[in-house]
Amino acid sequence: MPPFVAEVAQLVLNGIMAGTILAVPAIGLTAIYAVLRFPNFALASHATVGAFAGYVANVQFGLPIVPSVMCAFLAAGLAGVVSDEYVLKPFRAAGFITTAIASIALTIGIENLIRFGFGNELRGYDLPLMRDWRFWGLRVGPQQVQNLGIAAVAMALLFAFLAFTRTGKAMRAVADNPMLAAIKGINADVVARLVSFVGMGLAGLGGMLIGLDTTIDPLTGFRAILNVFAAAVVGGLGSIPGAVIGALTVGIGEELCLLFLSPDYRSAVGFTAILLVLTLRPRGILGARAY
Amino acid sequence: MTKKTLIASRRTVLKGAGALAFTGAMPAIVQAQGAPLQFGILTPLTGAGGFDGPRMLKAMKAVLDEVNAAGGLLGRKVEVVVEDDQTNPEAAVRAARKLIDVAKVPVIMGTWASAVTAAVAPLCWESKTFLTTVSGADSITLLPHQGYLIRTQPNNYLQAGKHAEFIASTGAKKVFVMSIQAPFAQPTQDRIKSVLPTKGSEMIGALIYEKDKTTYRSEVDLALKGKPDLVYLNGYAPDVTVILRDLYRAGFTGPRYAQSYAVTGKVLEALPPEATEGVITVQPSADVDSPAFALASKRLGIPEPDSYETQATDWASLVSLTVAKAKEANGTALKDNVRKICQGAGTKVYSAVEGLKLLAEGKEINYEGASGPCDFTDIGDIIDCKFRYNKITGGKPVFLKIA
Repeated sequence: MPPFVAEVAQLVLNGIMAGTILAVPAIGLTAIYAVLRFPNFALASHATVGAFAGYVANVQFGLPIVPSVMCAFLAAGLAGVVSDEYVLKPFRAAGFITTAIASIALTIGIENLIRFGFGNELRGYDLPLMRDWRFWGLRVGPQQVQNLGIAAVAMALLFAFLAFTRTGKAMRAVADNPMLAAIKGINADVVARLVSFVGMGLAGLGGMLIGLDTTIDPLTGFRAILNVFAAAVVGGLGSIPGAVIGALTVGIGEELCLLFLSPDYRSAVGFTAILLVLTLRPRGILGARAY
Repeated sequence: MTKKTLIASRRTVLKGAGALAFTGAMPAIVQAQGAPLQFGILTPLTGAGGFDGPRMLKAMKAVLDEVNAAGGLLGRKVEVVVEDDQTNPEAAVRAARKLIDVAKVPVIMGTWASAVTAAVAPLCWESKTFLTTVSGADSITLLPHQGYLIRTQPNNYLQAGKHAEFIASTGAKKVFVMSIQAPFAQPTQDRIKSVLPTKGSEMIGALIYEKDKTTYRSEVDLALKGKPDLVYLNGYAPDVTVILRDLYRAGFTGPRYAQSYAVTGKVLEALPPEATEGVITVQPSADVDSPAFALASKRLGIPEPDSYETQATDWASLVSLTVAKAKEANGTALKDNVRKICQGAGTKVYSAVEGLKLLAEGKEINYEGASGPCDFTDIGDIIDCKFRYNKITGGKPVFLKIA
């Protein structure tokens, strides 16, 4: 491959890897928004909860990665149901701004609980560190490929759940038209709990996937939340395929800008692209509510 | 709270404060000959610097106790007036005002955070009060302080220069520098770029990366494009951890070089040993071979006083010796005379008491400190200091050298 083509291909590949990981929590955020109608910033701390639950499973109980990732999903999902039921639900009557701000307070609270329990230091999963595979002048890490696989499987399961199961269809119905769904006898509270579980579970899974590639500390989720939010908004807040496309756009966009600019402008370029997309398509690439 | 000593009851503090206010209100001429000399100490006893401040305070007091035991300065005992800067510029300014306006101290020793020093320094030079600090930001000594400030901490310029010299001495010919986006990034890269060629090496490229990224694969690709022999990681622990991992994955086997604060014990625990094998770490070091260091160690009763304790030792010694040399205790005398006792051709001395003896005999002295030679540039930066180098082997730092 000519060097320039290889360079572009490598950047696109890196962007796809980063974007796929980003897509998992972005789907969580957008699903919660679709049903509960507020941006839940507590996603950040739930990603951290997942990362730490996975850490406990992997390092302290010695479980392999895939079961640990499931633990991350379950722990963050359960934390999501509890925190939504007891903290955020009472705020929902006061409007979405109040709830969104309450979710920021909640995320800081949970983050500090984690800090209280685990301390501030960096932790790493018990994983063999492998050299990258090289082919056609490109390189890709075995760990990244595994992460990509986990993210892809999680997303496929979610799409199947929403498309083919009764509960999934009920969730889509509430997201689409809550009043009509209520008339049809769908219990909005149950759907709210379910979406909190799935949404925050995905956040936890995403948090662990980020941690697998790096290290974790109580700020793991907080560092990622801006990009997660950007991905969801670019794709169209409320649209699950949109979240995937948004995440890939942000991921690949931030990498490709390295062709022209110094890496310290990465976020600036990413977010300028977001402004551009939203100027042209104010409701995001796919628009809201496109399941 | 104004304190004469670190441990003071509320009543003694009140008495002290009252007495201070009283002496402050009296015309100077009424003050009895032989009343104690008061030195101000403004150091973080709480906040982010709360670990270093109390230890620096102890080191300063230990030196001044020795000076008092040897007869004091100008025939007077030395007393310290201690204020807590709370590692907070706003609290520090209030405390400094108290030291300057009420206690009328000739010197304030001990500011730690750069933000605190930047806030307090203007009060000092305007009131002609001398200030000694450990704050490292280059901007501190660039303030228009007219000589009323010295710092014993190596600034970024000195550190980067020393790092470059060491890197070249390892035989690395092609060096790439990866810096986190921070105020020190560009100055460090500029300095390394200019020093390396003088030692037969070269900086083949540099980049500045954003913090808080979950991966630095593309940055690593950029860094490795020119096939460097050594990669200098000029960042903090969270990002350096990710980069060390990414460098390993990319197949880089050459040496990597980083500040000790970026490759901490926790980082070594979090990373598999193969990712950190051979990493060289560096940190400013006390001058452990100096007789002044041995004296400080004995005085404090600890085997290895650290960089902050030794710097505090040196401030108290420098200020005492300067007062003796100038035969007066005010900020202007300190600024005009400090370089007369710590650099030049005088007899080398390693403690305040030793120097005071020679000064009393009318001899010239050159104080060599526990933290380093204590020679200052015109703007108050130290000219030289030692660094400690470790090499990570099997996931543990192994001592290389102090140079």
